[in-house]
Amino acid sequence: MSLVMSGTSARKKAVPRKSRKKRSTFDTTLGRAVLQLLGVAIFFALWEAGVHAGYISAFLMGSPSGIFATFYKLILSGELLSDSWYTLFEAILGFIIGTIFGSLFGLALWYSVFVAKLVEPFIVAINSVPKIALAPIVVLWFGTGLISKVALAVSLTALVALIAAYQAAKDADVDLQSLMISMGADKHQVFWKAVVPSTLPSIIATFRINIGFGLVGAVVGEFISSQRGLGHMIFLASSLYDLNSVWVGLFTLMILGFVLYYVIDIIERTSLPWKQATTSHQVQV
Amino acid sequence: MPPKQIQLTVQNISKSFAGKGGDVNVLDDLSFTINERDFVSIIGPSGCGKTTIFNIIAGLLEPDGGTITYRGKEIESLRGRVGYMMQKDLLFPWRTVMGNVLLGLETRGVDQKEAEEKAREYLKQFGLAGFENAYPKTLSGGMRQRVALIRTLIMDPDILLLDEPFSALDYQTRLYLEGVLKDAVQTYNKTVILVTHDIDEAVALSKRVVVLSGRPARVKVVHEIDIEATSPITARNDVKFSTYFKTLCAELDIQTETTS
Ligand SMILES: Nc1ncnc2c1ncn2[C@@H]1O[C@H](COP(=O)(O)OP(=O)(O)OP(=O)(O)O)[C@@H](O)[C@H]1O
Ligand SMILES: [Mg+2]
Repeated sequence: MSLVMSGTSARKKAVPRKSRKKRSTFDTTLGRAVLQLLGVAIFFALWEAGVHAGYISAFLMGSPSGIFATFYKLILSGELLSDSWYTLFEAILGFIIGTIFGSLFGLALWYSVFVAKLVEPFIVAINSVPKIALAPIVVLWFGTGLISKVALAVSLTALVALIAAYQAAKDADVDLQSLMISMGADKHQVFWKAVVPSTLPSIIATFRINIGFGLVGAVVGEFISSQRGLGHMIFLASSLYDLNSVWVGLFTLMILGFVLYYVIDIIERTSLPWKQATTSHQVQV
Repeated sequence: MPPKQIQLTVQNISKSFAGKGGDVNVLDDLSFTINERDFVSIIGPSGCGKTTIFNIIAGLLEPDGGTITYRGKEIESLRGRVGYMMQKDLLFPWRTVMGNVLLGLETRGVDQKEAEEKAREYLKQFGLAGFENAYPKTLSGGMRQRVALIRTLIMDPDILLLDEPFSALDYQTRLYLEGVLKDAVQTYNKTVILVTHDIDEAVALSKRVVVLSGRPARVKVVHEIDIEATSPITARNDVKFSTYFKTLCAELDIQTETTS
């Protein structure tokens, strides 16, 4: 066969070699960062130019120069930092509590199919309520302080974690469990050694969504009633038509979310070393 | 030769599964015996219920009827006392080679240090020294099967249930692992029940071959394989090998003709 094929295969070989793409000089971490920063700079420059030329209303839209001035001022006064910490603290606390309780409850449902089937419609029902609509009641119940924001963040994150954990536990490889049973393992051993580890990727995958929900809970709680935090700052500034401060608040939230996302990314990579073999490798198409 | 002692008796086992069009009778009145230190291969058409038998012996499924007798005592199942190597190589992806090998000893509550020492010995013997901390994903198919085999052997089970352990491997690796298995079984004095589709493998490894009929599975014939060979490769050169091979082929051919 190889003799017959050799002629065509030799001709074919030349094709992939020619078409093998040379990586562009910008296709490196540094190159991409340069392009990304360039994009941001152009965006702000256009915005600023638009304001100066009179196409964009500085009153309704703010202006980059105004935003940077406000940013600088709020940093110096320490307000921005303290507001950020406050919101971050609420979000992370809500995220941790919600994720832990949600995941544990979801995993625990693996133990009893009966209980799981019993509570499933309730979970679906509760999950279908937009949790943000609870915000006014949560503030009534838990006051205007830290607890109400954390509670709101918990209500947003817990069900996401619960459903993901429950689903993952249900989907855990039956054969791995069978193998353990044949070895004489009891239900707890099967749970801890076969079920829990196999759910970890799904549970950790919810961290990404839930860290965002934690921030949503904290900020919405602050909108409704609060003396501190980025949500409070944005709400107050917008009622005073101080658009520059609003943008500072929004951009700070963006940065927080951005940093948290990468923190989660690191957690994901370090806590699941066995997954690395595939996730770091991508098939080149 | 001392008289053969019976270790395991499976008697009149029946099992049916609820299927779409009514119950599927998978096992019906199935009986066979396994001697001490036996090496029995079970061959039969695909879907005839071989894995189901293993699941029943291992205590993963309850039979609808029938009894299992072990060394004279009637028992529910051999759960906790068998080494079950399932049809697909079932390594825990989040555990390293070492972690996988230790799984059974852990569930049994064996001292960690003692267990690890034992594991290292086995890994060395099976040519896996140095791979203790590798994840299954990074191993070749043959290496994964060796890890699964160690995991099964290290528990020192009374009986090994091997469900097509080498079917996913290439011929060379299979020959090599057959040798590894045969050696291990001899060193550790194990009883083995092997399910395989490979008649060649069944003849080369076993003392007896049980031929099952199509669903519902019944024992059609049991062939004693009288080949005194030290390795599965030399067994294949034995003068009687091809006779056994042809006989078994014929048995299976007749099966497929009448049942299909
Ligand atoms: N849990 C189950 N529920 C319903 N039917 C099942 C179940 N397990 C097995 N069966 C059916 O029982 C029959 C025998 O299955 P089994 O896995 O024992 O076959 P097998 O002899 O091991 O086949 P193969 O050689 O292909 O592995 C098949 O028809 C299968 O569809
Ligand atoms: Mg099978």
